[in-house]
Amino acid sequence: MSDLGYAVDALAQWLAGSGKPGWFAVLLAAITVWVLPMLLVIFPIASLGQIFERKIAAAIQRRVGPNSVGLDGPLRFAFRMLLCFLPRTTQDKAFATFTNLPGIRQFLRIAKSLGLGQLAADGVKMLGKEDLIPAGADGIVFRLAPYLALTGAFLPFCVVPFAHHLVMLEVPVGALYAIAASGVTVMALKMAGWGSGSKWSMLGGMRAVAQLVSYEIPVGLAVAGVVLWCGTMDLHAIVGQQYHSGVFSLLGWNLLQSPFLLLLACVLFFGGLAECQRTPFDMAEAESELVSGFNIEYSGLRWGMFAMAEYTEMLLVGSLVATLFLGGYQSPIGEQWLVSLPVAIETLLHITIFILKVLASFLLMMWIRWTLPRFRVDQVMRLCWLTLVPLCLLSLLGIAVTMLAGGGAEMGEAYGRLPARLQPQLGTTGHLLGWAIPLAIGIVVVRIARKRHGQVHPALQRLTGGGA
Amino acid sequence: MILEWVNDICEGVQAFVTGLRTTGHFLVENLRNEGGATAITRQYPQQPAEVVGDRQRGHLFNKAEICIVCFACDKACPVDCFKMEMERNEDNKPHCSRFDIDLSKCIYCGLCVRACPTDSLSMTQAFELDPKIDGARFLFNRNSEQLDVHFDEDDMQRLHRLSAMPRAELSAEDRDWLAARVDSRGQHLIGMYGLGFYAPEEKARVDEEREVKKKAKDAAAAKAKAAAAAAAAAAAAAAAAAVTPAVTPAVIVAPSQPLKDDGGGA
Repeated sequence: MSDLGYAVDALAQWLAGSGKPGWFAVLLAAITVWVLPMLLVIFPIASLGQIFERKIAAAIQRRVGPNSVGLDGPLRFAFRMLLCFLPRTTQDKAFATFTNLPGIRQFLRIAKSLGLGQLAADGVKMLGKEDLIPAGADGIVFRLAPYLALTGAFLPFCVVPFAHHLVMLEVPVGALYAIAASGVTVMALKMAGWGSGSKWSMLGGMRAVAQLVSYEIPVGLAVAGVVLWCGTMDLHAIVGQQYHSGVFSLLGWNLLQSPFLLLLACVLFFGGLAECQRTPFDMAEAESELVSGFNIEYSGLRWGMFAMAEYTEMLLVGSLVATLFLGGYQSPIGEQWLVSLPVAIETLLHITIFILKVLASFLLMMWIRWTLPRFRVDQVMRLCWLTLVPLCLLSLLGIAVTMLAGGGAEMGEAYGRLPARLQPQLGTTGHLLGWAIPLAIGIVVVRIARKRHGQVHPALQRLTGGGA
Repeated sequence: MILEWVNDICEGVQAFVTGLRTTGHFLVENLRNEGGATAITRQYPQQPAEVVGDRQRGHLFNKAEICIVCFACDKACPVDCFKMEMERNEDNKPHCSRFDIDLSKCIYCGLCVRACPTDSLSMTQAFELDPKIDGARFLFNRNSEQLDVHFDEDDMQRLHRLSAMPRAELSAEDRDWLAARVDSRGQHLIGMYGLGFYAPEEKARVDEEREVKKKAKDAAAAKAKAAAAAAAAAAAAAAAAAVTPAVTPAVIVAPSQPLKDDGGGA
């Protein structure tokens, strides 16, 4: 049981007074300790992601992006609300005093240049919009879908370790649970498409289901590869497995263990991209074909939930990639000393590192979104079934062979409060060979393939300076 | 087949990386403030706007001196944004005493400009309406030189009141006040409460100018008429001259006299 688990128990005990806490006390404790902090962390990050994305998009398209709406208005409003019992002049005076504090003005200017106030503006706008339900809609299904989408996006975070002492659930089948829980989104999209009673939504929902169900397979296989390597499905244990006691603790990361795991990381990333329904894979809401796809009939807060779910899912994909392949919350250098710090500092640093890793894949997703055009339906399906799945199977085979050739497993290092576990022991020579042999074979095969079939497109030839 | 598959993947990766490199180049360039965002984009409200083109359809402008109050623009206007009044001077000549264009209605279609027979209406390139300059209630009473006329709340009240009164009843003080704030010459008055009218001295001046112009125009017309008459006579003679040689030989034996005469006259 994790530390948070103990916290929940303690709070439930305190709430119940004496005796065994009832289900209500446990529920209340779980909401206070787990759910609220999670929402308070993930909602702001997910909504900041939208501003982040708009800035990145602007930079890639050589624009400026949001740069006009600052935080002055919301702050002034907050002052008015907090000091509502005082006369208005006093409120204004307090606000003026506050803005004259050192650093506040600079902060406000930076916030304005980043367009941070857009968050508040969009939120208020979304709250104020009319809540439309089309006449032909299936009311219950239509209303339920956004909640379900958000649920599907949030549930997997229960098992994601944010820091060494900040894990909500250490489930022995965490990886499986994460994939299964995020599968709820498929249902939500289908419900939204069906419940709207609109042919565009219906088509969008169909496409979403076809795509998501297909891409569950490469994602599942990629996770299976890691599970095969680590011998456990517990996400926190997988993070512990990647611990390396040297200075360069990134050497322990799964990404660097084998070229096959690197390949699986790519597959997981692209599969996750497809599961988030983001451009190149945004078949479900292809604006130019389906207007807005499955969420076309939604307005106001319900639409906002879908948007929030999308960004939360992006965070989820980033977290999964980070947890399974990038050592989770571990720092790339000197993890050994980090764990020996006081718990509070260690947790803060761990969370920061984790968020940075997630943001890295966030950035990559946005970069890809503003680079590639949307694929056709058949291209999306071909990529999944004819490229990603065979690559996954090949990688699984490769990992299995590597582990067999490496000669069994030994007990690894204990990491913090995580006990030592069995893990494949290849040794330095084994690692090097494990990289060199597949890479050599791969390079030879690619060379032959390029020589036999390679025909670089003239446009690409110009850009890559000859190429191939 | 497998080699083909490998080749497909390689090509995909290559195209992908090339694309990422291209956009990444823009990304880095812009994040370092070297790219198009800072070089090309103009931050419009902060930076002054540039006129988009010569044929931009901006605010309407009426030259009251040459306006004949023919209501052609009013008939052409699909949104009824004109309000004009005509006065006659001593010679019973019409001239424009009031010409208001309600820019809150104008859709900048340019039909009035096309309809105008004297080209007194034209479209300027100005397109900005600034409530901070023009008064709190979007009062757009200004001509092109009066862009910074400011109306505070009291001024607005007074303007409201005065605009509701018949012009003949306005006191001299009110007229002065209005003349200082809105275009007193009746040129290019744009506004919801447009108060275009001529002050007496302005009226005299405009009438005088118009009279001079009219005299000049009349003189020119008379001269042109005389010239045209002369030209017509000459042309008729020339035509006769041109016709005679062609016809005469066929019908009668041509006498040389008329030809000579005509040649001398021409």
